[in-house]
Amino acid sequence: MNTAATLPDTEKAAASSPSRGGGVPIDLQDVWKAFDTGVRALDVVNLKIAGGEFVSIVGPSGCGKSTLLRIVAGLLAPSGGACVRATNAKAAFVFQDAALLPWRSVLRNAELLMELEGYAAPDRRQRAEKAMQLVGLSGFAAAYPHQLSGGMRMRLSLARAMALQPDLLLLDEPLAAVDELTRDTLQEELQQLWRKLNFTALLVTHNVHEAVYLSTRIAVMSPRPGRIEKVIDVPFAFPRAPDLRSTAEFAALTGEVSAILRHHAGGGQA
Amino acid sequence: MTDVRSPLPTRLVAAAGQWLPPLIVAAGFLGLWSLLTLTVYKGKGFLVPAPQDVAAAFAENFGVIALASLTTLREAAFGYLIAIVLGILIAAVLSQSRILERSFYPYAVLLQTVPVVAIAPLIVLWFGYNDLSVIIISLIISLFPIINNTLLGLQSTPRSLVELFAMHRTNRLATFWKLRAPNALPSIMAGLKISAGLSVIGAIVGEFIIGSGGTQGGLGVQIIFAQGRMYTSLLFAEVICATLLGFLFFLIVTLISNALLGHWHESAS
Repeated sequence: MNTAATLPDTEKAAASSPSRGGGVPIDLQDVWKAFDTGVRALDVVNLKIAGGEFVSIVGPSGCGKSTLLRIVAGLLAPSGGACVRATNAKAAFVFQDAALLPWRSVLRNAELLMELEGYAAPDRRQRAEKAMQLVGLSGFAAAYPHQLSGGMRMRLSLARAMALQPDLLLLDEPLAAVDELTRDTLQEELQQLWRKLNFTALLVTHNVHEAVYLSTRIAVMSPRPGRIEKVIDVPFAFPRAPDLRSTAEFAALTGEVSAILRHHAGGGQA
Repeated sequence: MTDVRSPLPTRLVAAAGQWLPPLIVAAGFLGLWSLLTLTVYKGKGFLVPAPQDVAAAFAENFGVIALASLTTLREAAFGYLIAIVLGILIAAVLSQSRILERSFYPYAVLLQTVPVVAIAPLIVLWFGYNDLSVIIISLIISLFPIINNTLLGLQSTPRSLVELFAMHRTNRLATFWKLRAPNALPSIMAGLKISAGLSVIGAIVGEFIIGSGGTQGGLGVQIIFAQGRMYTSLLFAEVICATLLGFLFFLIVTLISNALLGHWHESAS
């Protein structure tokens, strides 16, 4: 188990000012990763993310995109290179499986991260209630996770992260396990949260539509050992309406991203 | 508050559906037993006594059986409780380090594979012909399922949750109490349920070995007595009591387990 102690932070990143609100900039410099088993999970990656950006990483399964996310999170140490971000930046991680504590009520789950970070109890309660309101879970404070639908579990997971008021939100395929209708709704809600709360977001996904709908930029990765093949700007203005998804420009851009993926993955999933 | 439950007749049918099948099995079993004692084992009550003879033997020797049951209950309860404390403690320590676990776990398995009946005489040799030996034998037989299940539970913490706690720099102790321990609770309870019956078996085996030792003794002692006197109906009554003791332990643990897990875990019902 790796801890955040391995993260080679520097002070100079803290000095550079974020472009929007509380979002923190990230600078990945020649980061690569090989596991103890000798498997090269990640080829050399360079990526600069401005504060307040929403960047998606798309790539085929096993390309190392989750590894990259864990390096940014400080959960894994890179074998070489550095992930530079402000030391005092608050980061929150959202997992695909929602990662809730089944023995805790919804409210107590929403308080968890603040509890781990040592916030005082009254402050915790107040922030948790506010965050639950933000994602539409106010009426469910006393419920338990097993009583929630997949979409609501993910909302709770987002509320738990939002309660921390993070500068950086790391999302590891958070919507991969929910049904399509719920996924669209949650994408819209995630976008609203990001616009309202000014954090930098880094999303790992294999869903090209999701990446295009949510991101300011998309980093497309090659198969393992992954490297960033291309970074694509997403030109659509915010707020993005739900029906942006059915426009020709949207289709053109998803087509472009998919084509790059297909080209490098040799006809794999897109 | 208004009653939103199903109407009474529906609930009665549901309850009947739950209780009737096992009751029918019990009636069928008693019927078959009676039939056998009236035919094949007619006049051979010393081999298979009739149900009513067992009931009569129970009533006749109620004082002795009650006292013996209490003795066995006490010994098994001590063995069981010590096994719970020790088992959870050992598993918690082993779970903290791969090296510790790799070093000691094989011996915990060995503890289980040594036939307890075979080492029981040794235990008696070391600790004497007394309750202590019985308690230790009960403890040894109950210990492994608790260690094993607790360890399994402590180690099967979902990876994403471990990462979540690591992400927020949670120390080992807090991670244990807030994450690993509650996550292991269903598994611990499963281990306790397995050991509930085993602890009574251990106590009876222990009593077989130590014999009466001049005292009245527990159910194991009384069973040996009854066998020696060819008092088979009494033997049956005592075996049934021993079975019910184990069931009682199981029932208590199940109730505690449901109270602890009922609101969040699917194993409770």
